This record gives sequence, structure tokens and C-alpha cells, in this order.
Amino acid sequence: MEAPPVTVMPVTGGTINMMEYLLQGSVLDQSLESLLHRLRGLCDNMEPESFADHELVYLLKGQQGNPFMLRARRSLLHPTAPWHLRYLGQPEVGDKSRHALVRNCVDVAASHSLPDFLNEMGFRMDHEFVAKGQVFRKGAMKVVVSKLLRVLASGNTENTEPMSLSYLVELSVLAPAGQDTVSEDMRSFAEQLKPLVHLEKIDPKRLM
Amino acid sequence: MSGGPAVRVSIESQCERQVQEVSLDGLETYVPPLSMSQNLAKLAQRIDFDQSSDSEQESREPRSALKFQPSLWPWDSVRNNLRSALTEMCVLHDVLSVLKDKKYMALDPVSQDPSTPQVFQLISKKKSLATAAQLLLKGAEKLTKSLAENQEQRRQRDFNSELLRLRSQWKLRKLGHKILGDLSYRSAGSLFPHHGTFEVIKNTDIDLDKKVPDDYCPLNVQIPSDLEGSAYIKVSIQKQSADIGDLGTVSLFRRQPKAKPASQMWHLKLEAAQNVLLCKEIFAQLSREAVQIKSQIPHIVVKNQILSQPFPGLQLSISLCHSTGEKKIQRASPDKSKPDDHLYVLEHNLHQLIREFHKQTLSSVVMPHPASSPFGHKRLRLAGPMAYDKAEISSLQQSEGLLEKIIKQAKHIFLRSRSIQLQLNIGVEQIRVVHRDGRVVTLSHQEQELQDFLLSQMSQHQVHAVQQLAKVMGWHVLSFSNHVGLGPIESIGNASAITVASPSGEHTISVRNGPESGCKVLVQFPRSQAKELLKSDVLQEGRWTHLRGPYREVHWGRMEGRNFVYKMELLMAALTPCP
Repeated sequence: MEAPPVTVMPVTGGTINMMEYLLQGSVLDQSLESLLHRLRGLCDNMEPESFADHELVYLLKGQQGNPFMLRARRSLLHPTAPWHLRYLGQPEVGDKSRHALVRNCVDVAASHSLPDFLNEMGFRMDHEFVAKGQVFRKGAMKVVVSKLLRVLASGNTENTEPMSLSYLVELSVLAPAGQDTVSEDMRSFAEQLKPLVHLEKIDPKRLM
Repeated sequence: MSGGPAVRVSIESQCERQVQEVSLDGLETYVPPLSMSQNLAKLAQRIDFDQSSDSEQESREPRSALKFQPSLWPWDSVRNNLRSALTEMCVLHDVLSVLKDKKYMALDPVSQDPSTPQVFQLISKKKSLATAAQLLLKGAEKLTKSLAENQEQRRQRDFNSELLRLRSQWKLRKLGHKILGDLSYRSAGSLFPHHGTFEVIKNTDIDLDKKVPDDYCPLNVQIPSDLEGSAYIKVSIQKQSADIGDLGTVSLFRRQPKAKPASQMWHLKLEAAQNVLLCKEIFAQLSREAVQIKSQIPHIVVKNQILSQPFPGLQLSISLCHSTGEKKIQRASPDKSKPDDHLYVLEHNLHQLIREFHKQTLSSVVMPHPASSPFGHKRLRLAGPMAYDKAEISSLQQSEGLLEKIIKQAKHIFLRSRSIQLQLNIGVEQIRVVHRDGRVVTLSHQEQELQDFLLSQMSQHQVHAVQQLAKVMGWHVLSFSNHVGLGPIESIGNASAITVASPSGEHTISVRNGPESGCKVLVQFPRSQAKELLKSDVLQEGRWTHLRGPYREVHWGRMEGRNFVYKMELLMAALTPCP
């Protein structure tokens, strides 16, 4: 039997409830270079990792109230990589002093028949977009700098146009429920990015 | 005035014009003299044309005539002055001559004025000195103030320049008004939960009047208390197992770290602390694995030592030796301690393995594609979609822990040290010879066979020795053959041959060694040194004479040296010219 390394957090546990801690912000296109520079210096020392993903958001409209939402995402640069299906719950209302947005999160890797499967299950695709950018990591923290592009013709990811003149910056950590030190670490990391980008918790309900 | 020889007086005009300016190289520029018209104009300006009435003019005429009469000649005033001077000189001369006789005139000293009172002089002197002193003091004060300011600035600058140097080698960040740094390996991929934070302290409060100590540094670092001192991992293999009572008390002798001359104290401190942290991580990983991995003979983890038995009767001990440097820890077993049984190779390998492990966490196979998926090995992400079973998943995650790798390496070292060149297994009817490279030769009972075999081995060994010697002396091996197909046929085994070239390429040595034919050594010289070569028209340029030419045989029996290797070494040395 092999032994696991010294500290590793079980990312996908059986019945462990994983929570996603999230902070978001944005930078204009012209400030992107300096932000990438800063991230390169602050984060773990590796080559910058670029990505290009196509995300589809599926909704299941039930009889009552809120539709159930699932996000299916695939990599355009690695076509053979599995699809990623994600469920994000409602943000925990907790105490206001918590620095990051906390919500329940379920991540599943899926094969390439996922869109068909979801259609069969009754989900309907609500919208889709393409995200291109770079991913950085610092320990368990992930920083994603992405440009969101609108897909003009459904299913055609070649024909896209940028949605805005800025980049979305997200700082996220996947951790089991109940670890509050995570948000402290996230906040101190966000402090170090302070004048370039302001990362804060943005409640999605307020945007609707 | 009275007779006497006429005094010749030479006169020359002053001819001095006013200096207008003196340039920087000393050249004087004179005011240019007034021209005729300018002179006339100047004189005309003096004329007062207002007095034009006749009577005034008449009354003034004689006067003005007198006054206005221009000098008859320009030297008139000069002549008058000289004449009066001559008069005076004559008078003086007369007075002095009369005085000489002392009959009609005598000299009397002039009475001195009464001197000013002493007190007044003193007071005036004191006052003047006091003003002078005050001025000097003011100046000195200004100087000391500016010097103190400079020193303070220099101290600050020193601190800042040291801080700059520190920042160029270590990660620093500012938290409030404190400067913190990170000496852990977390940004290099470690997952050890130690924070590894150190603090930078300003050390500029020293009194500059006292002598500055030699190792003074305006910057000091405060490292976490559990990382103080120095540490290393001691790996050793012992034949006998240690007593139970000796477990966990490995001798902690300190190895003096090599102090690089140009490195600062803070650098040494930080490096030592980082090393301690890495050793702790290695030991934590090893002890974790030792406890969790199930093996036939369980590993023992006691305090700071891990014991395991790779082979029966053989004990591998890995211990973390951390000395804080404050008190000397006495050796646990004074008579059994052998500081030299520490295997540096394995310690180095442990460090490399943990660094490999760090790199794995940072490799791009862990990065998520698509970006929203969690971190993790990309092959493991396929486990869901491809429906891997437990065996496949465990084969994916198969990676030996640190401990297993080290145990394997220890086993290998042990086996290698035990193996010898030839192993003679003498049986009842046969002799079996096991060579180091795995060949097994079975010989019969005739001792001649063994003798022949040993002779052939010897000749091969001599040629191998030439090869090793060439490596050491910097000669290049051009060709090497264990079984040469040329020359006289040997009745026992085969001859072997080697050709080596000198570092400059000018000479080569060729050795052919056979069990029966003995040793034949030939040397090749450059063409320029060969006397028997004819000059040829084909070679136009002189550089071709540097190529090697004909061979000459060495009288090996007459070479100086106790044995083959000495002789060969001497020959190689003789053929390598000193620069």
C-alpha cells in the first residue's frame, strides 16, 4: 500500500461536503500584464498555464420555484480531457464577517456524452460562453484570470466576441466544510493584490 | 646743489595703462589709450563755455592763463618733483655729514609714548580671542551636525542596501510596519504545514562612538525558535542491531558548515533554518511512511530515529540530528560511535527525493483543464468517466514513498560493497569462478587450468589498469579490445590491447598484453620529432609536422618502476610535456 503525501486535502471525498470559497474582481485589458506579473511572483513557481474552456449552463425547470442549475465545462485546448460538471449551491448566509463567499460545491468528471445525457435527463441549455485566460495556484488557492467571450452561433466556438473590455479574476479554494482559516488566507492573499485588483465577495443574488 | 658730480637721472615714462581685466590664464587686457580725438574731447569737456563775459574773462585771464597755461612740456612736473627730491636728499646728506663730526649736532632718542596699561591690553586681547573662538566653535558645531547627519543617513542607507540584498535572495513582504519573509519551500511545492516566517529587524541603534564590531550588520533576522541551530539527516548501515536502550539517542555531533566568505550572517542563518525545515520535512515524511506502510519486518520509529532491516542482520538507521548549538550533547555510546559510517550519498538522495516530490506538486499535470475543475493528477480525473476499478486507481497512484526508495538504495549499496572481483568457489571436483560482471567459469581439478585462467585474467587486468590510469592522467582512450585478433595467437586465452592518446594529442601509447606473449608497448611521436622521415614535396605547410608519425617500441623491461602500473604512469608523465 502506498502512503499519501504529508498533507493532502481530500478534494473529492465520498460524503465529505466540499465548499467553495470564492473572491472575485476584475481588471481592464490594459492592466492585465501587470496583474499577471504580480501573480507570477506571488504564486507557486511554475510556468503560466493557459486555458480555453467552453462552458454550457443547463437548467432544469421544475414545477416549483427556482430552476436547478448545472454547469458543464470542457477544455478547448485539451479535447480528450473529460468534461467537468459542477453544481454550486446557494451562498451560505453565515456571519457577515466572513471574507469570502462560501457555497456548497459538487465537482464531477464526466465523459464526452455529457450534453446528450443532460438533455435526456430533461435539462435545457440556458446559455453558453467561452472563457480564455490563465490559471495560477498557490498551495490550495487557485487564481483564474479569464476573458469571457460570447458565442455567436450556438455550438460554434470559433466565432466568438469578447463580452467586455476587462478580465474576470477569481480566487477560489475547495475545502471541506467548517475550515474558516481558509478565508483568512484568501483575504491576506487578496490584500497583496490590492492596488491592481480588488477582490471581494460578490453576492450573485444581488446581481440578478 | 653744491658742486659734486652731476647725477645722471634716467627717466622713462610709466607707460602704464589701466588694466581693464585679467583673464583666467593671466593675460591682462589694458584699457586702450585714448586716441587724439578722444583726448581732445576730454580736454574740451573741461572747458566751461558758460563764462563768456569779457570782464570775467579778463580778470580770469591772467589766472586762467596761469592756470590754463598748458605745461610747456609733459615732463615739467616730473622734473620739478625730481628737483625737490634732489634738494631733500642733499639736505639729508648735509645733516648726516654734520652729525658725523658730532661737534655741532647730536642725536637724541625720541621719548616713547607711555604704553597703554596692561589691563586694557589684556581685556582687548581677551575680547578678540573670544570672538575668534566663537566663530570657530560655530563652524565646528555645523561640521559635527552635518557629520552626524551623514552617518545617520549612511546607517539608514546601509540598512536599505542590506535589505535590497536580502530581497534579491529571499521572499519578503510587508505587514503593517513589520517586514516578514518566507523561508519555507511552499512556493517550491512543499505541503509541509510549517509557516516558515522570519522577521527582519533593523539593527541601527549601535553607538558609533564605540568601536563597530567586525561582524556588524545593520540588518538582523529573527527565525522561528524551532528552526534554530543546524540539522542533518544521518543515514547509516550497521551490521549488528543496536541495543534497545540505545534507540533514539543518536549522537548529535555538529558538522561545521562551510562558511562562504562573502555571505552575510543573515544569509547563513536563513540557510541553516531552511535546511532544518527541509530535514524536518524529510523526517516527518519518512516516519509517516514507516508507520503506515506494512512490511514484513516492521520499521521502528523512536523519537528522532527510524530503524529498519533491509536484510536480516543488517540495520538501516535514519535519524534527524538537530543541534541548537547551545549545549553540547554527549555521545550516547562512546565506544561504538563511528562518525564515518554516515552515508552521505543516501542523505543527498533523500534531499533530492523530497525535492522531486515538491516538483511533482508543481508540475503542470496537476493543473486543471477545464479551469474550473479541482487540482489533481490529470490521469486520475479520467477515473470517473473511464470507470476505473480499484486496481487501476491504485496503479495510477502507485508511487513509492521516500522510505521505500531509500531502503532500496541502501540494499544496493550494501550488495555492491560486498561484491568482489573474482569469487572462487572451490568444490569437491571442480572450481567455479564467478567473475564480477557475472560470468561463471567452471574449471576442472587441474591446477594448470586455474593458473592459465589467472594468467589471462592478469593480462586483461593490466590493460584495464592502463584504461583507468588514462582516465586519471587525462589521456584519451582511442581503442580498447579485450580479445585482439591480430598478432601471434595466444595458447591461453586472448591478448588484449589498448591505445591511449596524450591530452595534447601529440603522443600515443599502444599496449598489447597477452598471457603468453607478455607486454608490448609502443609509442607514437609527432612527425617533427621523427628523424627518419623524409622531407616530402606533398606537405607544403609546417603545421602537418604536428601530426603523429611512426611508432617506436619501448624496452619495457628496462623501464623504471616497481610494477606495470608505475612504469606506465612514468611513461605517460614523460610523454606529457609540462606547459
